Amino acid sequence: MSRAAAIAHIPELAARLVSLERLEESRGRRTTGVAALDGLLAGGWPRAALSEITGRRSTGRTAIVLATLARAIAAGEATALVDASGGGGGSLDARAAAAAGLALPALLWIRCAPAQALKAADLVVGAGGFGVVALDLCDSGDARRRVADAAWVRLRHGARNQGTTVLVATSTRTLGTAAAAAIELGDGVPTFLTDGPPLFAGVKSRAARVRGGSRDESAREEAPCVSLAFTCRS
Amino acid sequence: MRLACVYVPQLALQAALRRTPEARDEPAGLLETEPWKGSVPPAMSSARRSRATLDALETAGAGKKPRVTQLEARARRAGVRPGMTAAQARAVSASIRLYTATAADREAGAAALADVGYAFAPRVDSGDDGERVFFDCADLGQLYPYGETAIAQAVQAHAARLGLGARVAIASSKGIARVATRAHELAVVPAGAAGAREFLAPLPVELLTDDATLRAAFRRWGTRTAGAIAALPVDAVALRLGPRGADVARLACGKDDEPFVPRLAPDALEEAVDLDYPVYEIEPLTFVLRGLVDRALARLAGRSLACAGMTLRLSLDPRGLDVRTVPLAAPTRDAKTLLELVRLDLARRPPDAAVVGARIIVEPARVRATQLDMLRPAGPAPDRLATTLARLAALVGPENVGAPATVDSWREQAVAVTPYVPPPAPPAGALAATAAAPAMRLTVRRKRPPEEIEVIMGRDGPTALRGSETTARVLVTAGPYRLSGEWWQPPATAATTSADPNNDAPGGWAHEYWDVHASDGAVYRLHRDARDGRFYLDGYYD
Repeated sequence: MSRAAAIAHIPELAARLVSLERLEESRGRRTTGVAALDGLLAGGWPRAALSEITGRRSTGRTAIVLATLARAIAAGEATALVDASGGGGGSLDARAAAAAGLALPALLWIRCAPAQALKAADLVVGAGGFGVVALDLCDSGDARRRVADAAWVRLRHGARNQGTTVLVATSTRTLGTAAAAAIELGDGVPTFLTDGPPLFAGVKSRAARVRGGSRDESAREEAPCVSLAFTCRS
Repeated sequence: MRLACVYVPQLALQAALRRTPEARDEPAGLLETEPWKGSVPPAMSSARRSRATLDALETAGAGKKPRVTQLEARARRAGVRPGMTAAQARAVSASIRLYTATAADREAGAAALADVGYAFAPRVDSGDDGERVFFDCADLGQLYPYGETAIAQAVQAHAARLGLGARVAIASSKGIARVATRAHELAVVPAGAAGAREFLAPLPVELLTDDATLRAAFRRWGTRTAGAIAALPVDAVALRLGPRGADVARLACGKDDEPFVPRLAPDALEEAVDLDYPVYEIEPLTFVLRGLVDRALARLAGRSLACAGMTLRLSLDPRGLDVRTVPLAAPTRDAKTLLELVRLDLARRPPDAAVVGARIIVEPARVRATQLDMLRPAGPAPDRLATTLARLAALVGPENVGAPATVDSWREQAVAVTPYVPPPAPPAGALAATAAAPAMRLTVRRKRPPEEIEVIMGRDGPTALRGSETTARVLVTAGPYRLSGEWWQPPATAATTSADPNNDAPGGWAHEYWDVHASDGAVYRLHRDARDGRFYLDGYYD
């Protein structure tokens, strides 16, 4: 290759080097897709670990899960959603998810009963190569009673071995110490447009970090809560 | 060209033994009422049997009582001889196990023998006697740099993995390779006519031809070995013994012009078993099918292929067939997964009658190969992903595993599941483009099917609702939003094209939707069916 030709390739190589830097920076953390949450979690969800997001209905749990999946898919990673809600038919709203930026063909969607959810997640994590596996137990009743602690430990072990981020969405805290990071959503306040007839516009809620985050002591002193605003219209 | 010949002596007995690999270390024999003359496979119909076997059957009055026709070496050493009845054989050797080879066994055995060839070459000549296959092994030198003996050993080892004890010879032509397999367990005949002539020279005449007339003629002339025949002028032999005699003389000289007629592998791979008694329950049937699946997967593994689809054909008692296709999400070689899928399918739709025979037809496929990238995330390995998808399908049902897809329908809850394909690697520089955060957009967590609820209506809409999981006052109401559809389609079509299992009454649907903020803090999406006035909870925003 001539010198001129080599110089011509420098911009492309530089772009790749930047990508490598970014990869290095984000090692150990994965963006949640929500900037405020990334700040709260010191960079995002921990990789190769279990994370938990809890909250009551209409506090934005699903929106955060889908945002995380959308970012992982955009980065070229394999993702899966184990959907144990919706009465066995799955709770995912495909149109709304696509509108939220989720590339549907790249998502492995497993609809199952709550009793099969852990086994399904275990299989997906064990396959290796998945960047994010989301486990939706939001409407699965009291998952804490349903799932033995040993099952979470086994799933955590699999996530650590395969380098997978396992994100569990529940209505009440379930994972306990098995979760490397946990976010609790609360104070969900719906907003309606009232210019004319009422029109549902979105939800404002607060996210509190209840587990995980930065190991840096100075960062720990920051307020472990952030406000989030979700919309339901484009 | 260098041809490898794989010869499985007593293929019928070995085919029967494939069913019971645990009995492989015990003396065994094959019982037959008469020499097999089945219609399938065609190559087997002309199977040549040893002279001793045929003589034994003739003297024993074939067709009246089952006689031992083929014997494993241990049984022969124990004193059992062809032509004995089962009682006589057991009197000589109490530990002998006697089998009967069904047509399904023979067919599967012949197919497995062909697969030995297909594991090493894309085209295989199945020969004319059904006990041998030939394939071109000239290109295998790069894979086996230690020579042709290593190739022959590898072929023999692969045959053993498929449950076949094979003799292997490598030569420059079919005829010479065939003779070499008669003489040796493992043989490599030197290339060229001179080398072949030298190799064949010490072999007895009986190994050169099956023709008893020719054997007798050569014996009468005092020629006992191939070398002695090679010393005779071919023209003179042809004059006295005809063209078949000339062929033998040329073969003894290391010259053979038998054509090599290779064929591609069949599209599907089959394994079958005929049962001695009807099976009424699923678990015993699964046990029977396990052997079939294991053998089929072993054959696929030898060709570096996986199972992309499986058809199960059950013969019912007293007559009838039950044919079912077991759906597979992706090619797999995991026997446990395949059996689980079969078991689930059988449990979902049991056969109408007892099963007396089973046949699996496996569709081979290559597992997707991928090239890893240093700068991009590595996805799941194709074979492991395929196995995982199949296991997930076995766990939750194949209709519940895949990628979600939107449906061209006005129904809000319509969704489809399509085959999952891992995302392609993004182009270089795409990682930086992902910095833009997607909108934090709420979606409706759907209930499928929508749950029927009680709603108290006020002047401006719902004022309270009660369902199985929710009882709440309504604080704010937005709506109604009226939607209707499929009224333009005839009733039957509307009922079948809907993607929602909770289909409405045929002939279209009409709903009035509300978004309601309830006193439990959630924002629900509910609708009233305009046709019957009932309320349904579609889900809630989250």
